Amino acid sequence: MPGAKPALSALRAQIAALEAGTRTPPPVLPFGDPRIDGCFPAGGLQRGGWHEVGGSGLEEETGAAPAAFTALMLRPLAAKGAVVWVMRRDDLHAPGLVNLGFPVQRLIQVRARDEAEVLAVLEDALATVGVAAAIGEAESPDLKAGRRLQLACERRGATGVLLRRRPYGGPAGKRREVSGAAAQTRWRIAAAPSQPPPGEPGLGPPRWRAELERCRGGRPGAWILEQAEAADGPHPFRLVSQLADHDVAESEPRFRLVG
Amino acid sequence: MAASPTGGGTVGPPPPVALLVSEGGTRRLAAVDDAAAALGLFVGQKAADAAALVPDLVTTDHDPEADRAALEILCDWCVRFSPAVAIDGLDGLFLDVEGVSHLWGGEAALLDDLLDRLAQRGAPARGAIADTPGAAWALARYASDRTIAPPGGQAPLLASLPVAALRLDEAAQGQLPRLGLFQVGQLLALPRGQLAKRFGLSTVLRIDQALGAAREALTFRRPATPWFDRLAFFEPISALSDLERVTGDICGLLCARLEAEGQGARRFELVFHRLDGKDQPVQVGLSRPGRDPVRIAKLLKPKLDTVDPGFGIEVVTLWAADVEPLSTAQRSLDADGGVSLEEGLAPLVDRLINRLGEARVWRADPYQSHVPERSVARRAPLDPQPEDAWDPDRPRPSRLLRRPEAIEVMAKLPDDPPVQFRWRGKSRRVRLAEGPERISQEWWRKAFDEIGPGKVRDYYRVEDETGERFWIFRAGVYADGERAPKWWLHGLFG
Repeated sequence: MPGAKPALSALRAQIAALEAGTRTPPPVLPFGDPRIDGCFPAGGLQRGGWHEVGGSGLEEETGAAPAAFTALMLRPLAAKGAVVWVMRRDDLHAPGLVNLGFPVQRLIQVRARDEAEVLAVLEDALATVGVAAAIGEAESPDLKAGRRLQLACERRGATGVLLRRRPYGGPAGKRREVSGAAAQTRWRIAAAPSQPPPGEPGLGPPRWRAELERCRGGRPGAWILEQAEAADGPHPFRLVSQLADHDVAESEPRFRLVG
Repeated sequence: MAASPTGGGTVGPPPPVALLVSEGGTRRLAAVDDAAAALGLFVGQKAADAAALVPDLVTTDHDPEADRAALEILCDWCVRFSPAVAIDGLDGLFLDVEGVSHLWGGEAALLDDLLDRLAQRGAPARGAIADTPGAAWALARYASDRTIAPPGGQAPLLASLPVAALRLDEAAQGQLPRLGLFQVGQLLALPRGQLAKRFGLSTVLRIDQALGAAREALTFRRPATPWFDRLAFFEPISALSDLERVTGDICGLLCARLEAEGQGARRFELVFHRLDGKDQPVQVGLSRPGRDPVRIAKLLKPKLDTVDPGFGIEVVTLWAADVEPLSTAQRSLDADGGVSLEEGLAPLVDRLINRLGEARVWRADPYQSHVPERSVARRAPLDPQPEDAWDPDRPRPSRLLRRPEAIEVMAKLPDDPPVQFRWRGKSRRVRLAEGPERISQEWWRKAFDEIGPGKVRDYYRVEDETGERFWIFRAGVYADGERAPKWWLHGLFG
């Protein structure tokens, strides 16, 4: 954390050096806004690691907002190599990704038969030369699978994203809440009301409520992000507003089991 | 060269066996074995007569389909001798042995090996080798067994054979003996013009085919290819580690030849030939032509678990298909990464396709259609890039439901987007809406009744109060006034 005691930061650097071994510090994918990038230890979403992106409510099943957010977030990486998207249901619609500016001609889609196969294909893709990023739709990997994903990411510096998605008709609310530990970050994405430009009918650019629930070596945060227009610069998101902590707590209603 | 199992019976101790077929209400013999033939039974005899003559005759129904299937198995088995094997009629096989006989040390040795193996398995067969399929057919059936015609020397051998050896049509064959023409030699001595006039052009063609003056196309079970290699072992192998080793060896052999000729192949078939005559094939496909033996062996090796070696494997063959020119690998020169497609993505795509199947790995390409569910074509990931692209200004959802789901809506005016709708049990209030985008059915794909105003879809992009964006459409218009058009949800923008 900036501003902490120098001894503490020296110690932290030492630990980081131990953890990383002889590896060079990983490159990052910045969001282009200090209010977001400041949450990450290296000033941006770490490449060469995997991240977990989930939705809430019905989105846990449909996975639309997390998918759109992920495609937009990884858009700069797609310029560097192929992107592999592993899913169990083939409902990803490529023209929709074109709307987000994602280069679909670099997207390889794979439909796996079960959750274990999703993770195996994801791991294989991440360890392959020429793959810049790989996205897998799965429910939740256990710690061992998460660790394997991390090792695969480190081999070539590819970025992995695990879209948490419950299979259709699966038991609601009965999720294994384990995974996160091996991931670099954990996000929860929900749609947010858009703001059409004044005087224009219709919908504005899509907005998301992005909560960074967990960030290794960093701190959590929550923002409202909007898809950036071409005039806004090279980064895919425009920060609309930063949410205070109590907003974060409020956003996820907790149900109590009664009876 | 042709092998003809006589009759359909099995070799064994008596009793004699015959196969029966029903012809117009009478049961007749369709095939008899040697024992039955020795007792005076013949094909076409009535079953009742035969049973009276030979009381202990064992009879079974004739099953032509099973015969064909058995012949196909035999045909596949013969691949160990030559890659080009064709089925001929009901009981024959043609093997193109050009360029492979040296592996046995000569044509005679090859023929002996083939016929001995067939005899061991109880499949009586005769064989011959000649320049043309026609001559081989004739020699195998009418000359002494295992005749080998010297190159260009089939005419003298054929001369003494009966005219039936020429595979003539029935009319010509029936006519010839009546004219005193019994032997091929007599026919060859006649002027061609008269022959054609009298017995039809097909007779002349058959003679030419036997002598090599006319070509004959054979339908090989698999197309003839030079991209074929085999390894035979002194001792049969069965351990998995041995199978892996020979897989590597044979890939090395074939790939070295591919490399020398500047070729690469997209499909490889490895066949393990077992001692008991069963074949165990294993296939792999590549997304782009390749000839790297290590990579191909690596793709093949995980599939070796499915190979059941039985009592051992004595021959292994590797066959390459879809062979096309492939220039030597060149490392790409761009700064980022510095690896070519061959080293990175192509092996990944191959691994995935071989593990999951071709239908499960794809790249989405634009397809010229306005109907959303038809606007995406699935291509192999490494195919050339398409020229056209989707229009980025047309709103399309990031998740398209496989089939639209019905929603209940409340709209202020018939032509307006709804103000509220209910999907999957949850009611949503529409905050913003955009549309409509009218998409009509492709009339050229449907019958006339199935198109028309009722099939028009008006798509709206709507956003509810939480900000979730949906793609909904109204099927049909409010024109008739009889039935309100239905609303559907087709996708989610996220």
